Order: sequence, then structure tokens, then C-alpha cells
Amino acid sequence: MTDFFANFLNPEKRLFIGYLISAAFIALIWLRIAQKKPLTEIVSGFFSTNVWFSKSALADYKLMVLNQFFIKLLAPILIGQLALTIFIFENMHLLFSRPSASIPVWMVMLIFTLVLFILDDFSRYLLHRLMHRIPLLWRFHKAHHSATNLTPLTVLRTHPIEAVLFSLRAIIVHSLCLGVCFFFFAESVSLIEIFGSSMFVVIFHSLGSNLRHSHVNLSYWSWLEKILVSPAQHQLHHSINPKHYDCNFGAVLAIWDSIGGSCIVSEKNQDIKFGLKDQSDNAHKLKNLIIGS
Amino acid sequence: MFNKRLTAKAVPLTVVLGSAILISSSAFARSNLYADFPITLKDYSGSATTSVSYKGQMARHALESSLKKLISKGDMSAMQSYYSGDDANRAIIAPATKGDFVIKQSTIGELSNKNLSGKTYKGLIPGWPGNMTGPEVAAFMFEKAANVDGGYDAAHAMDYTQLVSKFLMGAVTYNQAVDNYLDEKLEADNKPNNKPYKDGAAYTGKEHVWDEAFGYFGAPAHTLTISAQDVYNIAKQKDIAAADYNYDGKVDLSNEMAFGHAYYASSYDKGGKTTYLHDIVGAYMDGRDLITSVNGRALSDSERDELKGYAQTIKTNWEKVIAESVFKYAGSTYKDMMKIEAIIESGGDVSKEWRTYSKHWGELKGFALALQVAGKDMGETSVKLNRLIGFSPLLLGNTQVTGIDSNGEYVQSDAETWGGYMVHMLKVQNLMVDEFGVVARSNDMTAGLSELVQSLGAKSSAEND
Ligand SMILES: [Zn+2]
Repeated sequence: MTDFFANFLNPEKRLFIGYLISAAFIALIWLRIAQKKPLTEIVSGFFSTNVWFSKSALADYKLMVLNQFFIKLLAPILIGQLALTIFIFENMHLLFSRPSASIPVWMVMLIFTLVLFILDDFSRYLLHRLMHRIPLLWRFHKAHHSATNLTPLTVLRTHPIEAVLFSLRAIIVHSLCLGVCFFFFAESVSLIEIFGSSMFVVIFHSLGSNLRHSHVNLSYWSWLEKILVSPAQHQLHHSINPKHYDCNFGAVLAIWDSIGGSCIVSEKNQDIKFGLKDQSDNAHKLKNLIIGS
Repeated sequence: MFNKRLTAKAVPLTVVLGSAILISSSAFARSNLYADFPITLKDYSGSATTSVSYKGQMARHALESSLKKLISKGDMSAMQSYYSGDDANRAIIAPATKGDFVIKQSTIGELSNKNLSGKTYKGLIPGWPGNMTGPEVAAFMFEKAANVDGGYDAAHAMDYTQLVSKFLMGAVTYNQAVDNYLDEKLEADNKPNNKPYKDGAAYTGKEHVWDEAFGYFGAPAHTLTISAQDVYNIAKQKDIAAADYNYDGKVDLSNEMAFGHAYYASSYDKGGKTTYLHDIVGAYMDGRDLITSVNGRALSDSERDELKGYAQTIKTNWEKVIAESVFKYAGSTYKDMMKIEAIIESGGDVSKEWRTYSKHWGELKGFALALQVAGKDMGETSVKLNRLIGFSPLLLGNTQVTGIDSNGEYVQSDAETWGGYMVHMLKVQNLMVDEFGVVARSNDMTAGLSELVQSLGAKSSAEND
């Protein structure tokens, strides 16, 4: 249970209480000023029992609890991380000569933090794209897309097999980054951190990442939506409408979608239905989420 | 009597009595001085007052450290004299008096007139080319050293001063202790405790077996009364107060000096992560206390089992000390290679760094050879270690010594890339961790990486996009 609450107390997690509060503030400003909705409607929308106790949201909670236990079983995979990192570090010797000239620590920190962020974001995009395009993987990712209501907690509506793939992706990216950067910069390697997490992660989450899984259709200027994924764009990714299928795979950067031809910018005041085509209420049953229907 | 420190200083009588009672009240209290153990031999009628004797071992340490100085002089007859000669007047070249660190003895004969050749491991030395025994490798190295300036062959990056000294430290002292005295000589019918070691001796068979094994380790007799840092300073001849236990103003090489692997043990222990030196000397002390306690009768099987337990503690820790050294110099070699590569890329002169690289590799190789002369089959570990290090450092042009031709000349062949050989050094470090569990890990080239993985590595998360 302490692990469960850690989700809300750890600034590395998207559901950190501080990020939820900042998202609520951003939503309030957006809905009040840009969309000119009455305050009472906004507040009642935040606490709508129709959303938080919907079959879809209840399914989110069930998967969240299930994954809480399942994640513990993944500990052995994480142990392999050191071996992989050393393997990468060793193989760098065969490709490059190891520099001994020292680069200022601040520059190394900037390079490492940036490289980790970019590689992490790109690999998320790539894996996400594969989850949609490869039929076998879609069977797992479908569980996430069967959500008909989006709440910040939908971020943890994840099939356990998908959680394994996410962990493997993270391990490969971190090992690659650490192995390569340690080869070039040795002990100077470190992360620019805020509250113990990468600067970029904290900025991304502080600026309302939680609104991606919500009904608040916060959008950016369309030029910006080609660079950064807005909440409204991610909501398009969850759209039931076939013309939105397989768009906006990106996590933070929309650049990858722009290059890959899958970037769709949001429409003004878009009102989108979420979920899968032809899905019944049974889709929210835990058995169907795990095994499929 | 060696134990003069108590009387030399004005120690309150109560303390002396108190500690005497404390020691005698428990049969298993550990002595803290490897000296003055009484004569337990029945029917001894000579004039000796103690059964402790290991001057021959200290003479061999003095021969080894003197020989190390001679390699760079290139005088073949001097090298041979110290290795296999019998002149009692051979000067102790090292350790010699340095400032207030006055050495009591000046000739080998003042300790005991010995040589090294008779006690060098006769088995195959697999890590050296040419299928040679220990004495043959030593002779080969002397000859090579005599043919190059200062015992240093830049073309093959061979530093014979380091190679010979680190190799012999294993092939003579380590081998004699762990493969002979702490091995077959602990059996019941070999040097029994109810008979003199040899006719007329003041010590029993087992007393002397144990004392010789202690001498080969090279620790001061008063090691348990001082810290690892003190022992390190003694070996470096920096602290006469720590060395001169009996306050005669001189350092007695027969029991106050630190030599050989005892010095290396102190160098790791002073970092605080390990206690090799005190664990080893403590086990020697426990064993000697046990032998003394049976008062000249033969050891029972269970007593010998206990003694073998102490011997095992000594062997395991001693082996780790050598493995720590292999680990350390693999790291030094790696760092040197990084520097050399950078200098070559910028078109500079590498001769100074090449000298250091050769020195560190010589230490690495010498310790690696030493690790394999304990008289036990190390199996695959041995094969891996010798392949990773090879018969020479990686030379410019990415060649390496791969053998010796019929004229005794080195044969070179294409080998690894520069980076590939650096990886070998990393793998040598891994091997020492995996096979010997080294802890001190000086010059650990991947420690920073492990820490980074721990602090910045991936964590499991079910967060979806
Ligand atoms: Zn998706």
C-alpha cells in the first residue's frame, strides 16, 4: 500500500500530487479564460462522479492495483541493467578512443540530461508506434485504449505485458545513455535534477502532462503542436473516430510524429469520444482487459 | 627477548599485572606479539630461550628487495649472486638505512645465509611463454634484464625490475608458505610436534613449520599492536617509531620490518574497506598459540584440523591480497593506455607514458603470475587471466608477444586493437571480483558506472502514453 501512495508522493511519477495540482490550475485557467466556461461548471466537471466512478475509471483503478503487484516481479529485469550498461561501455572501446581531456562538468550534465531526454522520448514514441502497428502488441495496448473516460489515473491503465515492455525499453535507453556517456565523460556524468528527477521530466509534468488523460481539451498553437504534443492532441490519439487512428504517438515531443507523418494538430473546441470502435461495456471487465474479448 | 616495550616505557604495574591476568584467564586469548613463545620441546638442553625462529625467511625477503634494486643495474653476476649465491657478506641493498630509519643489519649473513633459487616454485609457469619452471623464468628474466638498459625493454614494454620482483614474491615466499608449510607440512607424520624440527633445534616440528610460514608473509612481529597504516609506513621507511618495537633505535629486519605481500595487504587495508593484514597475522597468532598450548606433545587430529582452519584463513586472505594487486594494476594499465592513445592522436611523444605503462603492466603481470603459483589448479580462471593479459602489453602497431623462439627471442604477432586491450584490462578487474571477491578495488575503472546505474538507472513503471 505504501508503494501505491508513493505514486502520488514521488516527483518522478506523473501522478505526483504537485503535478496534479498544477494540472488543475492550468485546466482552470484554460477553461475559464480561453473557453469562458462558468466556474461552477468547471469545478463540478473536476469532481464529476460520472467520470470518476464510470465503468472505465473503475477499470483504471483495477489495473492500477494489479500492476502495483506485478511491477514488483520485474525487479530481476532491472538487475540486468548493470550488465547491459557495462557491455555497452566495453563495446564503445572497440569503436572510439576514450578521451581523457576534461570537459566542464556543467556541459557534461547538460549533454547527458539532454541526450537521455531525447533518447527516452524518441524510444517511447517508437515503442508506442509499434504497439499500434504490430497486431500482437496492439492486443496488449488495446487495454489502454478501451478507456471511454480519461482521467489522470488512466496513465496507469496498462496491460501487465505492456509494463514489461516499458521496463525493457527504459533499461535499454538508460544503459545506452549511461554506457556511452560514461565512456566519453567518465565520472563527470550526472543529471540536472529538480526534486531528484530529470529537469525535463519535471518541467513536462509541471506543465500539465496530466491533462493528456482528461476531458480538458487544452491545445497549443498549431505550429507548437508540431513540436510539442498538447493534451488535446493526445486526446485525438484516444479518439474513436477512424480518421484519428494511429496519430500522435509522441510523449513529449511531436517532432517524431511530424517526421513520421502521424502528427495531427487539434481542432478548436474539439469534442471527442474516447475508446475503441464497437466496444461494449464488457471491455472494462478485468478479465477482458487482460485476456482480451 | 623481543618484548621490551613494556619495560622500556614506564607502564604502571597494575596494567602489566592486569593484562597478564587477562591473558592467562582464558586459554584462547590471542597473543599480540609473534615472538618469545616458550620452548615446549621435551628434553631440550640447549641455551635458547624461545622456540621462535624465522630469520631465514626474513633473509629471503631482504634478498628479494635487494635483487629488485640490482635488476636495473644490469649486472648479471650480481643478480645471480643474490638469487642463487652463497656469500654471507652480500650487502642488504634494500631496505637500507634512510634518515632516522636505521636498519640494524647490513649483510644477508647477519640474518641468515640463504638464497632464493632453492625455494622457487618448480612447477610450470603457464602465464609466461616458453613452458618454463619458476627458476627457468627467473633466469630468463635476468638474462633479458642484463641485455637492456636499466632492466627496461621499451620495444617489448617489459620492465624486468617489476616483473622479477612481483613474480618472485609469489614464486618464492607465497608458494613456500601456502604450498609447503601451510599444506603438506601440517600433516601428522610430517614434522610432528613431539619431535624437534631437526636434531638439536630448540623448536618442535610444527612450531617451526608455522614460524617459517609466518616469516614468508613478511609482517612485523608486532603487527597486531599497530594499524595497517603503521605497517604501510614501516614498509615505506617513514615511521621509525612504529617499526622500532624494542626501542633500540634500529629497525631489526628479522622481526620489525614489513616486506612483500604484508606490505601490499597494509596498502589495501589502510583504505578501511579490508582487514587482510590483521586477519592473516591474527590467524598466524591463533595457530601459534594453539601449537604452544599443547606443550610439546603431538597434535591430535582435531587440533590439526583447527590449525588447518587457521591456515585456510591465511591462504584465502593472502590470495585476495594478490588478486587485489592484479585488480589495481589492471586499472593502472588501462589509465596509461588512455593517456598514450590521447598523446598519439595529438602527435606527441609518448616515451614517458610508455615507461609508466610498461612498469604498471610489469606489476600486473608479476602479480598475475604470482597468483598462479599456489600449487593448486585454478582451472579456467587461470586460462582466462593469462589470455586477457597476454605475454606482453599491447605494443604500438597492435602487436603482442605471443611466444619465444629457439634463440630465446620474443615472437610478436598481430593482436587486439588498442581499445580491445583496454577492455581486457576491464575484464581482468571483473575476473578478480568474480573469482576472488576483492573488496578494496584500487583503480576500479567501472565503479563510477555501477554507481551511476544505481542512482540514475531505469526504474519499472507502468505509465502509459
Ligand atoms: Zn496508444
